[in-house]
Amino acid sequence: MNNNKQTGILISECELGKSVSNPVAVSVPLLITTESEAVQSPLESVGRILVTAATRDISVRRAAEKHLAQMEEGRRLVEDELRESEERYRMLLDGIQSYAIFVMDPVGQILSWNAGAERIKGYTADQIIGQNFSCFFPPEDIKRGRPEEILRVTAVNGRHEEQGMRVRKDGSRFLASLTFTALRDPGGTLRGFSEFSHDLSESKESEARYRGLLEAAPDAMVVVNQSGQIVLLNVRAEKQFGYHRDELVGQKVTNIIPEGFAERLIADGTRSAADALAQQIGMGIELSGRRKDGSEFPIELMLSPLQSAEGVLVTAAIRDISVRKKSELYLVKTVGELKRSNEELQQFAYVASHDLQEPLRMVASYTQLLGKRYKGRLDSDADEFIAFATDGCNRMQRLIEDLLAYSRAGANAKILREISCEDALKDALTNLRATIEQSHAVVTHDALPSVMTDGVQLAQVFQNLIGNAVKYRSSATPLVHISATQHANKECIFSVKDNGVGIDSRYFEKIFILFQRLHGRDEFEGTGIGLAVCKKLVERLGGRIWVESQLGRGSTFYFVLPDRGNKL
Amino acid sequence: MTTIGRDVEPIQILLVEDSPGDVRLTQEAFKDAKVLTNMQVALDGSEAMALLKREGKYADAPRPDLILLDLNLPKKDGREVLEEIKANPSLKSIPVVVLTTSASEADILRSYRLHANCYITKPVGLEGFLEVVQSIDSFWLSVVKLPREAKS
Repeated sequence: MNNNKQTGILISECELGKSVSNPVAVSVPLLITTESEAVQSPLESVGRILVTAATRDISVRRAAEKHLAQMEEGRRLVEDELRESEERYRMLLDGIQSYAIFVMDPVGQILSWNAGAERIKGYTADQIIGQNFSCFFPPEDIKRGRPEEILRVTAVNGRHEEQGMRVRKDGSRFLASLTFTALRDPGGTLRGFSEFSHDLSESKESEARYRGLLEAAPDAMVVVNQSGQIVLLNVRAEKQFGYHRDELVGQKVTNIIPEGFAERLIADGTRSAADALAQQIGMGIELSGRRKDGSEFPIELMLSPLQSAEGVLVTAAIRDISVRKKSELYLVKTVGELKRSNEELQQFAYVASHDLQEPLRMVASYTQLLGKRYKGRLDSDADEFIAFATDGCNRMQRLIEDLLAYSRAGANAKILREISCEDALKDALTNLRATIEQSHAVVTHDALPSVMTDGVQLAQVFQNLIGNAVKYRSSATPLVHISATQHANKECIFSVKDNGVGIDSRYFEKIFILFQRLHGRDEFEGTGIGLAVCKKLVERLGGRIWVESQLGRGSTFYFVLPDRGNKL
Repeated sequence: MTTIGRDVEPIQILLVEDSPGDVRLTQEAFKDAKVLTNMQVALDGSEAMALLKREGKYADAPRPDLILLDLNLPKKDGREVLEEIKANPSLKSIPVVVLTTSASEADILRSYRLHANCYITKPVGLEGFLEVVQSIDSFWLSVVKLPREAKS
């Protein structure tokens, strides 16, 4: 390229017939690197070499031709594009409804007309194009030459803004906000003007409607523009924040909502409606508000974007949630305390029984070892004492085991799913097979529903209740019947009915307490844990348990499980 | 069943147990064992590790063939002892029988995750305990072939 350039210069020198100081530099690049029509041999003369205009390089011309063609093509493309973009631009303007937009020539004759102009001023394009824009002015303004004055001022300043009365086609007047712009060509010649205007009475009316709506709202309402200024607020907002309306309108919303939050809220709030919907900005946001006296209080904010003549505004519904927060806190605290004390109790029962087992094991083991090694080798008293000690140890072991079982009952997380109660019953009966066979008990049941509950725990409840029914049997063959009824409120009431010894109504409550027994050890063995475990499990499943019985006439134990979408 | 050398040499058992009552009970129970055993006792986890690593006064301690390990121990906990044994290339081949009062699922799972060879909950009664020791005797000391590692 460098060579070419150089050659180009040399060629032009040659073509002009100038002498060339270094002819070699001319001919070599010329011949090798450029396209030529003809190459004449240089004239030789002693001492000087001259080149006449015999050499014509046409590469430059060719390139120029090509370039010209490209330019032409490019120009066509640009023109097409311009036409298209003009078209689009016009369509865009034409479609705008909220603003009147039109163009006029330098003397105010209207050249274009959009949909907003038609709507606001009442003329169709056909009616107005070619007319002078002065027809929008009240007669008195026309008289004092206001239209011409506006054009003059706009031409001088390039731009002019004003609010003024205008007249519609039907003669009615309205307050308009208008912007005029002078249109000049690249050379600076004035080609005309554009007018961009909207009907202020429209936004005033809608503002009034909106204000009415704000006042009717149950919450404090504040409307904020995109720069974070408070535009509107209702009486509740004044009261809540302790300001007078005038003290807040035009002020930054950060006066009442902590800095940082407010910015984010405005950013969140001014996203497009589609975005807003997708991100659910209408959801409540909890933060704190600041009163005029500086005190802060918890608030919940609901934001929604509002399209308005002044752009997107954010409407914030602000709810004072001090009372709710306080009771929430109290609730959380109380629940926390309860939970802690419950956990402590659970832990206590478990640790106590677990740790009690250690020394007991020692006592039991060595007492038994004594019995094993020395039975009959000491006197009969010693044998008897050892027997009592061993018996006591065994009973203590049963108690501790049961206490452990009780503290473990339902300690694992509930697994709630829809289970067939018949399956749970089947599991219980399988575990009780030996007991049932030994006592020749007859266990029957109605159709049982499917319920949403913890199947393992339900089976354990069935097992304990049926086990009791068989255990506390009378002299008759034990008959146990299980049924379930679903009530209108969807609760499921289960019953386990037996023909056993029955319970005195005095003890209906007591029997559900841990280690409470109604019978002597020689009558019925056991520590009195079964019903306590049942009660704990049923209550953990959200239900309750009770008994109906008459001494000597059998008992019916009922328990109810809450509705969690139970199906019969 | 066993090598000739093994028949004459007693099986070395390391009992890691802090309760003297339990130590004595275990010793009493092993008296009836079919296999000749020699029992060393460590009363806490640190002592057990020192013994296994033959540190200080335990320089001449025999390498155990089987370890009976309680979990709840003073100083170094049984769980830590188990973890250290199983992380030690020269000790990890020694079978560890966890013998504890804990019946907690968490302890059981954790012990097996730490590669305990078996987990036994101490029965509360004497008879039960004697049965367990008998089972250890007949299974770990008779049925099972224990690794023979160089006892340097």
